[in-house]
This record gives sequence, structure tokens and C-alpha cells, in this order.
Amino acid sequence: MISTVLAFVLVSLVAIPAVFLAFGKSPTTRRAACGLLIASLAAGAVAAWRALSLGEAICLDLSAFAPLPFALAVDHLSALFLFLICAVSVPAMLFSSAYLEGHYEGLRRQVLWALMPLFLGSMVVVVTASTAFAFLFGWELMTLFSAALILVEGTDGERGHSLFIYLLMMHAGAAAVAASFFLFAGRAPGLEFAGLRAAGAAMPAGLRNAIFLLALVGFGTKAGIIPLHLWLPRAHPIAPSPVSALMSGIMLKTAVYGLVRFGFYLLPPGPSWWGYALLGAGALSGTLGALYALGEHDLKRLLAYSSVENIGLIFLAAGAAMVLAANGAVDWAVVALVAALLHAFNHAIFKSALFLGAGAVADATHTVDLEQLGGLFRHMRLAAIAMLVACGAIAGLPLLNGFVGEWLMFRSLVAGAALSKASAAIVLPAAAGVLALIGGLAASCFANVFAVTFLGRPRSAAAEHAKPVPAAMSASLALLAGACVILGVAPGLLLRPLAEVAGELIGSAAVPDGAFSIASILPYVALAVAVAIAAIAVLRRRARVTSTWGCGLPGLDERMQYTSTAFSKPLRKVFANAYRAERTVEVAPAGESYFPQAISYRSVRTTSYERALYRPAVDAIVAAAHRLRRLQTGNIQVYLLYIFLALVALLMFVRFA
Amino acid sequence: MRLALTIVQALLLIALAPLLRGIIARLKARIQNRRGASILRPYSDLLKLFRKEDLQPATASPLFRLAPVVVFACSVAAAAFVPVLYAGALAGGSGDFILLVYLFALARFFLILGAADGGSAFGGMGASREALVSTLAEAPLLLGLAALAIVARSASVEGIVQWTLTQDFFQLSAVHALAFSALALVAIAETGRIPVDNPTTHLELTMIHEAMVLEYSGPSLAFIEWASAIKLSVISALLIAVFLPWGMATAWSAGALVLALLAFAGKVLAIAVTIAVVESSVAKLRMYMVPDFLGVASALAILAVVFTALMR
Repeated sequence: MISTVLAFVLVSLVAIPAVFLAFGKSPTTRRAACGLLIASLAAGAVAAWRALSLGEAICLDLSAFAPLPFALAVDHLSALFLFLICAVSVPAMLFSSAYLEGHYEGLRRQVLWALMPLFLGSMVVVVTASTAFAFLFGWELMTLFSAALILVEGTDGERGHSLFIYLLMMHAGAAAVAASFFLFAGRAPGLEFAGLRAAGAAMPAGLRNAIFLLALVGFGTKAGIIPLHLWLPRAHPIAPSPVSALMSGIMLKTAVYGLVRFGFYLLPPGPSWWGYALLGAGALSGTLGALYALGEHDLKRLLAYSSVENIGLIFLAAGAAMVLAANGAVDWAVVALVAALLHAFNHAIFKSALFLGAGAVADATHTVDLEQLGGLFRHMRLAAIAMLVACGAIAGLPLLNGFVGEWLMFRSLVAGAALSKASAAIVLPAAAGVLALIGGLAASCFANVFAVTFLGRPRSAAAEHAKPVPAAMSASLALLAGACVILGVAPGLLLRPLAEVAGELIGSAAVPDGAFSIASILPYVALAVAVAIAAIAVLRRRARVTSTWGCGLPGLDERMQYTSTAFSKPLRKVFANAYRAERTVEVAPAGESYFPQAISYRSVRTTSYERALYRPAVDAIVAAAHRLRRLQTGNIQVYLLYIFLALVALLMFVRFA
Repeated sequence: MRLALTIVQALLLIALAPLLRGIIARLKARIQNRRGASILRPYSDLLKLFRKEDLQPATASPLFRLAPVVVFACSVAAAAFVPVLYAGALAGGSGDFILLVYLFALARFFLILGAADGGSAFGGMGASREALVSTLAEAPLLLGLAALAIVARSASVEGIVQWTLTQDFFQLSAVHALAFSALALVAIAETGRIPVDNPTTHLELTMIHEAMVLEYSGPSLAFIEWASAIKLSVISALLIAVFLPWGMATAWSAGALVLALLAFAGKVLAIAVTIAVVESSVAKLRMYMVPDFLGVASALAILAVVFTALMR
């Protein structure tokens, strides 16, 4: 039954695009196809949830239609991520139904509509693939479809360059992933996951290390781990908002899936330095991602950097799980892995909500520049409340889902202090300090985001005369916000299946006493806080509306308000070393610094990675290419010599190898 | 009996919080050679504010009036987690100290939103400064408490207190000294006392908390003031509970409970005297010195955690 539903979902994800392309001209057909898409995704979510409780994997072998072994299977880990993809894309598609209709027309809209289900389908293939070929097939399609979704809006100006960087880095990452699979070759014919797993256990340690490092680089590129994050703040802002939500909310999670699949399933438990590598990469990405997010005032770029931060947290927790498992604390390793998986889940929910919210803001005001927004609460109440919930959740505030993941991370990191190895007992609790710093930065960042966007006075005419938000957009935001609240108050719903999956991967069914105690505390705290707020709200009298205190001046205007840049200035000043801003001040006329006619000030941030890391690499490749060009003399005799030499070499190889 | 006691001690923290503020203000006045107001003055202030009319800026959203209530509700909920008279509290469980810290973060989040909703420069300025202080204070606060949890081999406040009660004060380790220094510095920052923030100033160049609440009046202001008083009493009680719990009732008798109450009152009074003396003798730090101040706290907290591994 479940396998039928899953097959139906896959078929509909492939068939619906054809409907959009062929008959997408009429709005009724589009609405019907969109409804069908949402229904099949919802059915997929239900089936995936059921598959979580099944004893064995559901398999679908399609090798007959493919040149290489191609099979899909839904085991518990796959079911979890399949559930994530299907469940989170339902509100995203609901949002698209209003967003795409309002912002695009004609063929462009049809193509966008057609690409969305294909993009989702490719991600479904990635998380359910049970052979290396199927995985890489889905992985490549995922990159191409997402790039195509960005391409629909054209490649003029900076967009083309950003898209090029996106494709380039994705392919570099895919090459690393493919290489890590091919290192198994010869030991596991067919490259099926079960065979790979058996081969992994029998491998020499050096080869395992190489596979792990390649997987870390490959999946780290997709996930946007610093310094491999370069594409992320470029690609996300230029995609249509629902696509950004899919890319950030779901596509990044496929990298988490891949990493967990390699690190905890295909490869046997590794040495602790694997864990430290993950933990270090996660801590670095988390801290710098949070700082860069704080310094942004383009809402979508800010959210992209915040994805870097959250992926960092997930890697940190996964690394902690590896370190704990390598040091014998398997029960706490399960908790850490649950924290990583839960945070992946939570991030999918609230980051989708935030990107969709950014889309709603763009829909209402035609800008996502925080310096131009403000006071939007009264124009879009429901969407604003949903955004408040999402901002609180991503800030890790209690009674919302983000807190539960961070709480579990804290618990497992602090529990690391009991390990017998002193280095682990110091590093893990110290990482809890990093986690707290990241949490603090994220809280400041998202308090700022909400305050500057929705509260206070409008900072531009566009914000002052914002359009109301279509009902479908508000509804999809409300769905996601509702999920944040439910999973924040009753996290037990998700903790139990996650604990089963994590326990299966680590090989320990037991969870330490009190490891999930938060699930039993939170409902009471929520009840107490809710009752207190409700009681006071009922008892209070109405307020009298007056004007804001302006120090006795006639009136305040929007230019006297704090801006997003002003808000983050103190923190940016304290962490100035992390930003390394390039500032140029030009005073004209030169030499007259006291009586200037004009001053121009420019400050560019976070380009240091390009300068310090990528530029030298690109230069080296170009220089090597120049040197290789000498082979191309244009002389036909020389080319004949090459062919002759190649032939001789080949004959030698065939004879002696 | 146990339940009633835990409710009583939570209510104690909530109801007597303004009194602690009054005592500190009175002591400061005495040190500065002034007569000072009655120690009950904060209660009459609250009563007066609750009777007044609530004012709301024209630009504000409904969140403006919701924020003080959320802040108050979070502070009240936080009070339920701290043991006062015996080694137990109304709410708790393993890892509850993390929740306690984050409840204050939730309150602060709403306070920042409320401040920004007024639409003036003051609110944003206070919010921005509060964000600076709180962001840097979170890590040492959690690490300091984590160090204690590691030493006590228990992740709950209740467990830490019970373990500390079985120890001899003079046998406590370097971890406790380091963690106490870190948490004392953080407590100053979190409760907005001198030298990080000045709770009595209304000079815009220096204020943090007061700038955030400038737009509030009447009952809304009363909720905020009461909530910040509760925060001071909760954090004081938490420090007392994890570092100096001796005197808490270990047996269920009326005498032990009265003794515990007296001991608690004495310890809180000692904290009040310390705060009054420090605030009368130390100047407020420049804003950009505060990160250094919290940097010291972070370093101490990290050392506390490192020492837990080195000293076992």
C-alpha cells in the first residue's frame, strides 16, 4: 500500500509538469494541477510517516529502465527525509499558487510551474536512492532543475555570474561525491547501498578516511559550509521566493542526508577526528554565518547566511555524535544525532516560512531591503504573526521548535564532559559555549529582522502603501508557523521516531535517562505562560493612542528610527575582525579634508573568501591552462606525433598491464 | 506539602522582588549620605502605575502592548525553576537550567520588539545595545552553569543544589571559584546593574534597559518594572542556590523551613549590600568596554569548564 502511494507520488511529480507545459495556459488547469500536486505531496508525506514505523525498507527496482543499477528504497532514514520533503513542500506549493500567478505570466509561468515538481522529484530520488547511480542521477538533476528555476528570470547583469558560480560549485561538489562513491568500486559491484555498507566495513582505514573527506567536501559544498558557502548567498536571493524556500529549506537538507548516510550508514563508525572535523566545520560556519547574517540588510541574503549558520549547527551536532560514539558514549551519541536530525527538520520548517515570508513582503512592497521596510504589521497581520513565530523559532526561543533542537545539542555536548578522554571532555562542553554564542547572535539578528520589517514606522512609500497579502500566501505561512508551535510545545511527536532512526544508525537503542525530559517540561511551561498572558489580556483596559515621545520636538519621522544597519552596528564593531570590510572613503576635492565638496563612502563585506581562497585557485587553473596551450601548436605533424605516441602507449598498456 | 512549598517559594520570589529593589535603593541612598525612599517604595510605584492609563504610540502594532505581558509571564515562569527554601522547585528536570536561560531570552526578544515598535530612535538604540550585551552574556551564563552541572554530575538545578548541600564549603573546587566569578559578572550584565547598565539613569547616552522602555507607561510599564525586579530576584536566588545553598531545609519541619527562610533572607541581604556598595563606588563602563567585561566572564567560564576535565 505504502509503496503504491510512493510510486504514485513519483509518477505525479513527473507527469504534472507535462500538464503544466501542455495545458498550462488556462488558469483552471493550472489550479487543478497545483491542487493535484499538493494532494500527492500530502499523500507522500502521510506514506513516508507510515514508512517510518515499518520494520523493513520498501524497495522499487528500476534497473530494467536504466543503463546501470537503479533502485529506490525507503528505509527509516530515507523515510524521515522523504517526509520532510513532502511535508514542507505542501505549504511552499500553496504559496507558489499565489506567488507565481501574481508575478509571472505566459510561458515563463508555465515553465516555472513545470520545473517545481521536477525539482521536488529529483530531491525525492536523492533521499530514496539505494544505488550510487540513482543517487548521483538525482543529485545532478537537483542541481540542474534548481539552476533552471533561477534561469527562468534571465541572466542579465550579476545574475548570470551568480548562476555560473552556483553551477560550478555544485559540480565541483558533485564530483567529490561521485569520487567518494567510486572509491568503493571494485569492492562493491553494482554500487548498491547495502553492498557499499558491507564493503565499507572491510576497507583499510586510509581508504575510509579518503571517502569520508571527499563526502565531507562534496556534501559540505551543497550544504554551504564555510568556506564552501560562496554560492549560497548568491544563488538564494536571485531565485523566486518559493524556490529559495525549497532550496534553503529542503535542498540543503539533502546534503545533511548524504552526510548522515555516508558518515553513519555506509562507513563503519570512524575515528574521533572525523567528528572533530565535522564539529569544527560546523562551529566555524555557525559563528561566521550568524555574524554575516547580522551584517546584511537584504532580507533574502540575510536568510541565506542564516542557512549557513543553521547548517553549521547541524554539522556541529552530527560531529558531536561522532565524537561521542568514538569515545564509547553511544547513548549520548544517539541524542546528538537526534539533535542534528531534529534541527534539520526544524530548519526546513522555519527557514521555508521565512523565505516565503520574504516573498510575501516582496509581493506587498516590491522590495526586500530592510532599510526600506517597516510598519508592515498592520498591512499583513496573519503573515506578520507567522513571521514572528518563525523568527522566534530560528532564534531558538523556548515554546517553539528551534529551541528543542538546541536544547538537545546542549545536553549532548555538556554530557561529553563525562568522557574519559580529557581532550573530548574539554572540546565538547566548550562547543556548547560556541553554540550559546551562535544562539545569541541569531536571536539578535532575527529580533532585528522582525522589528525592522514589521514594526515601527514605514521607512519608504512602498512600505507605507503595502498591498494586502493574498490568502493562499498567508495560509501557507500560517501552516508552517503552526508546525513551529506544535513541535515546540509537544516535541515528543517527532523525538520518538527520530530517536529510533538515530538509534538504528548508531547501533544503540538506549537513550540516557532524562535526555528527552524537555518534552515533558515544555507543555506545562507553555500552559503557564499562555494562561498568564490570556488572563492579563482579558483583564486589561484599552490603551489611549498618543504620539511617540519626540523630546518636545514637533514630530518624529521615519528617518529618526533606528535602521537595521544601525541596530547591528555595536555587534559588528565588536566582531570587526570577522567581517574584514573593505572601506573606501573618497573626499573631493582631494587634499581638502576639512571643507569637502563631496564624500563617497563604500564598504564591501565578506569578499575575503574570494580574494584569499578562490582567486588564487582560479589563477592557478588559468595559468596551468595557459601552459597546456603550448601543446596546441596548430602544426599537423605534431598532432600526428601525439596520435602515434598515444597509440604506442595504449599498446604498451594493453600488453603489459 | 511539597507542591505547596514549591508554589510558596515561587510566589515569594515574585512577590518580594520589588522589596529587594527597594532595599538596594535604600542602601545606596544611605551610602551616598541621603535619606532615601522607603523600602516599600517600589510597591507604591507599581500600584500607582497599575492604576494609570495605558498609552500607546500611534505607529505601534498590537505587539507593543503584548510585549510587557510576555516579558512578565516569562519572568514568572522562570521563578518556578529556582529552589529557595529546600532543594527543589515547582518546575524542573534535567537540563532545566538551559530552559531557564532561554526563558529570559524569550522575554528579551519581546522587549526588543516592543522597543522597536515605538518608532523612535530611543527604542532602537536601547534594543541594539541590549542585543550587544545579551548576545555576549549568553555563552558565559550557559557555560558557567554547565560547569557546575558537570561537577555535580546532574543536569538539573535541583540536582546541583542537592549535590552542593552534601559538600563542605571549604572543599569546593577551583571550578566553583571560576564559575562563580563568571556568573557574578554575567548576573550584573543580565540584570542591568552598574557597571554595565544604570537602572536609575535617564540620560540617553548611557542607558540600555531604560531606553528600551521609554515609550511605555501605566500598567505596561508596571509589568516591565516588576518583571525586571523578578529577574533580579530569580538570578540572585539562582546564584545562592547553586553556590551557597547551605541553610536550606533538608528535613520537613516548620523549624527547618523558618531557618531556611531566615538564611535565604540573610543571603539576599548580603547580595543587596554588595550591589549597593559596588554601585556606589564604581562608575558605569563605557558601552564598548562592556564586551571586554563580558569577555572576561567568558574566559572565566571556559576555564571553569576546562578545569572540570583537568581536576577529576
